[in-house]
Amino acid sequence: MELSPGAPFPDLELPDHTGRSRRLSELAGGDPLVLLSSRGWWCPKEQRYMRELCRVQDEFEVAYSRIAVLSVDPPEVQAAFRAGLGARFTFLSDHARRWLPKLGLLEGTDTVHEPYRPAGFTLFPDLTIHHAYNGYWYWGRPRMDELRRDMREISQAVRADWRVPA
Amino acid sequence: MRPFAFVVFDGESLSTDPHADGRRLRIDSRCLSGVRVEGAFAHVCAQPGRDAVLRYDEPEVQQARRDSLEWWIPMLGDELVCLSTFAVDASLCGGAVTVARNPSLFEDDPFARLFPGTVVETDDFCEVPPPPGPVIERYAGAPWPGGGFN
Repeated sequence: MELSPGAPFPDLELPDHTGRSRRLSELAGGDPLVLLSSRGWWCPKEQRYMRELCRVQDEFEVAYSRIAVLSVDPPEVQAAFRAGLGARFTFLSDHARRWLPKLGLLEGTDTVHEPYRPAGFTLFPDLTIHHAYNGYWYWGRPRMDELRRDMREISQAVRADWRVPA
Repeated sequence: MRPFAFVVFDGESLSTDPHADGRRLRIDSRCLSGVRVEGAFAHVCAQPGRDAVLRYDEPEVQQARRDSLEWWIPMLGDELVCLSTFAVDASLCGGAVTVARNPSLFEDDPFARLFPGTVVETDDFCEVPPPPGPVIERYAGAPWPGGGFN
């Protein structure tokens, strides 16, 4: 599956951190979306990066933009991790690894957890990929200023009143 | 679909008849359209008097909605049927309602910090997927979490 700019990201249907089935398009809800695949709660890099995301969630919330995180952790583990972080965004659980092989995001060097490889996708409301980030190395993940830039570019493209109406 | 419907609250009971006696409040219309959940409980955090309003932009209203996303909705889990703030107009909030299959957690309702809660048995509400965000009210008086730009 090609996960590159301009391609559609699949409309995943997976349980969220409460165990409730959610579709990615439902989580976007007509707004720009940042989707991050994550190794899991146990990875210190993920813990550090998620804390960074929590620091910008206020901005996303007032800017009509969304964040979602995808990992193989079961919902109850995601719920605990999310609560510990103080995150308000949604975690999607691919514990059964239904989407992992289809998306081609297996972290092949981890022979224990069979987790997702860290990656970031900024998506238009219709789930078209705007930008894709390979986060295998920590510095490959989208920085917060890059997320802001992408959210601005997507918002500019999809908000009909981006220019103040005369 | 119109982004809001009306409920009427008289301090003790909640009616979906917009012409009933009491205070008429806007609610996310999805809460009243679909398959109704019988034997549910509504926690109505509102008062019947028309002066009981807060601006949606007040920090306490903002924070109640953040708390909803962060822990109130996860805590309710499968018990949650739906929730909606009550909009009075495009800027004023008259409280909120959380509908659940079990009322045992209502004492933790973050919206009860805004207005005192009243528990009402109800068969009138439908299951709505909980909001993933954002936390600010939006469009032409649509009560959070309803509404949209389209």
